[in-house]
Amino acid sequence: MLNHLIPHKTITLRSVFDFEKTPFNLFMALTTLLLLAAFAAGFVHYLMHGHHAYGVTREHPWGLLIAMYIFFVVSSTGLCIISSLGHVFHIKSFEFIGKRAIFGAIITIVSGFAVIGLEIGHPVRMVIYNTLSPGFSSAIWGMGVLYSVYLFLIILEFIFLSRDDHKWSRIFGLGGLLVGIAAHSNLGAVFGFLIGRPMANGVFYPVYFILSAMITGCYLLFLMYGYKYKMVFNDEMQKFLMHLGRLLGLLIAILVFFEFWRFLTAIYGNFPERAETALHILGSFNFWVGEVLLGMAIPFVIILYSKAKALKAMIYASISGMIGIFFMRYDLVHDTLVYPMQTMKIKEYQLAPSWIEYMPTMTEWAVAFGGIGICLALYYVGENFFFLDPHQDDAYFQNYRDEE
Amino acid sequence: MAKYAMILNYKNCINCKACEVACKEENGIELGAKAHRIWVGTYDIEGKYPLLSIPSSTFYPSQCQHCANAPCEEVCPTHATYYDKNGVVQIDAQKCILCSYCMVACPYDARYVDTRTMSVDKCNFCSDTRLARGLKTTACQATCPTKVRLFGDMDDPNSEVSHILRTKEHFTLKAGIGTEPRLFYIK
Ligand code: SF4
Ligand code: SF4
Ligand code: SF4
Repeated sequence: MLNHLIPHKTITLRSVFDFEKTPFNLFMALTTLLLLAAFAAGFVHYLMHGHHAYGVTREHPWGLLIAMYIFFVVSSTGLCIISSLGHVFHIKSFEFIGKRAIFGAIITIVSGFAVIGLEIGHPVRMVIYNTLSPGFSSAIWGMGVLYSVYLFLIILEFIFLSRDDHKWSRIFGLGGLLVGIAAHSNLGAVFGFLIGRPMANGVFYPVYFILSAMITGCYLLFLMYGYKYKMVFNDEMQKFLMHLGRLLGLLIAILVFFEFWRFLTAIYGNFPERAETALHILGSFNFWVGEVLLGMAIPFVIILYSKAKALKAMIYASISGMIGIFFMRYDLVHDTLVYPMQTMKIKEYQLAPSWIEYMPTMTEWAVAFGGIGICLALYYVGENFFFLDPHQDDAYFQNYRDEE
Repeated sequence: MAKYAMILNYKNCINCKACEVACKEENGIELGAKAHRIWVGTYDIEGKYPLLSIPSSTFYPSQCQHCANAPCEEVCPTHATYYDKNGVVQIDAQKCILCSYCMVACPYDARYVDTRTMSVDKCNFCSDTRLARGLKTTACQATCPTKVRLFGDMDDPNSEVSHILRTKEHFTLKAGIGTEPRLFYIK
């Protein structure tokens, strides 16, 4: 029945637990289970205590969960953009990644929705009133609607890709790509529109979001294929990963260039609030170690010095890259809110003027990182249930042939 | 139809905080420092004794500015934040999804979460309490011992508010970002 809609493998409960018991696989399985348990615990705690379970405050109303939501949707958009290079724009070496990348895009955005669902105070009300009294001027409204359409389109894209229907998959692929870019730049605009926050206000974030999404997409593809092929690559894979590495190198170079001018224009002329905030960010550990060292420098140096040929090193560097991307998402939220909006209430309720501080609670950590557990679990299920690779690369057929 | 505004003769403020208390009492605001609709800001006095700067020893009562071009209204995805017919920025708690975007967008830190209704709350010029009972003043104005606050209708040319705005120099907070506050400070 389902096979008519989308080709899939026969799956039994036993086959789900029947994976190769290498130490690394066991480690991944354990990690996934622990993260899922963390999510469940966070969820229960949230149900019991509501928003009180979170560390967000009046001055810092957004926190880790918003950052994690952005982390996931950035991943999704990135995977969608990079995969479209193959099956929408027909760049040869990228063509075979289509299904795996789009499946990754689907599960990352689903995990993102799971996390944001626990951050929004009234998710059900949101669905009702987003429809009944839509606030068209709200970037959050636009983002919500566009991401929903995006999810719908990439699911269809995945279905047609799986059916090897390349006409329709291309149409939905192009649709998903365009709506995805619209949705994602809109998410940047959620911050860019803030006229009261000079460090965030302006064109930077909408553009930066697309760029950093593409970088995230590259890191994730390195990780997905590194894991899939256990670091042993055939010629075709090597060629693809080298191209991916070069693309990544170029994108990181552009990012460094963007960041350089962002900070220079923010500091130059000592514009009130903005310059101070920029200098504050430049003095932070998160920025230099998290964003610059892990997120940009380590991967970039490896690509540069090996001319994108050190594939194994790149896969390890992609772990560092993803940690860096996490810091970028966290800092994005925190840096936007870090300057106090006190206007004249310099010492309201005995609060002396200071940078706004925020510390996520255990519940927030559990839900946020539990989201990664959801993502890993869905990936595992997808790997065993759908055909994520072209047929000749799929171990499933290998096993079939052996049985015959 | 009116265009409500408030004038603050802030130099008269003695930081007695009677307005903060009156607001909480009248509008049933939760106890504690986090939940407050209005506040009185203070600076540290500048200079070293005995060369202290007298003008720096001033108090700054404030609250939601009821911006005519309100960022909070613009960013609300469900129109939970809206302008009522009197130009007052209101919140419909039933529609608020607690996305907190308005709290991030407000340049004056005027909003907080009411943990009983789990929705965002802020000053509404006593619309559903005193004004609804037909009174013409807000709680903070009525209680102020030094007559710092004056609430009224800018659309009525004969109102005291209009008269003062015509005759006294005044300023608004963060005027440069174009929110057009309806809270005016007398110079
Ligand atoms: S002061 Fe803040 S809450 Fe009040 S109307 Fe302006 S933006 Fe909205
Ligand atoms: S928190 Fe409520 S009032 Fe504020 S923007 Fe969201 S829905 Fe609107
Ligand atoms: S009641 Fe009047 S004098 Fe007292 S703190 Fe409030 S504004 Fe100032």
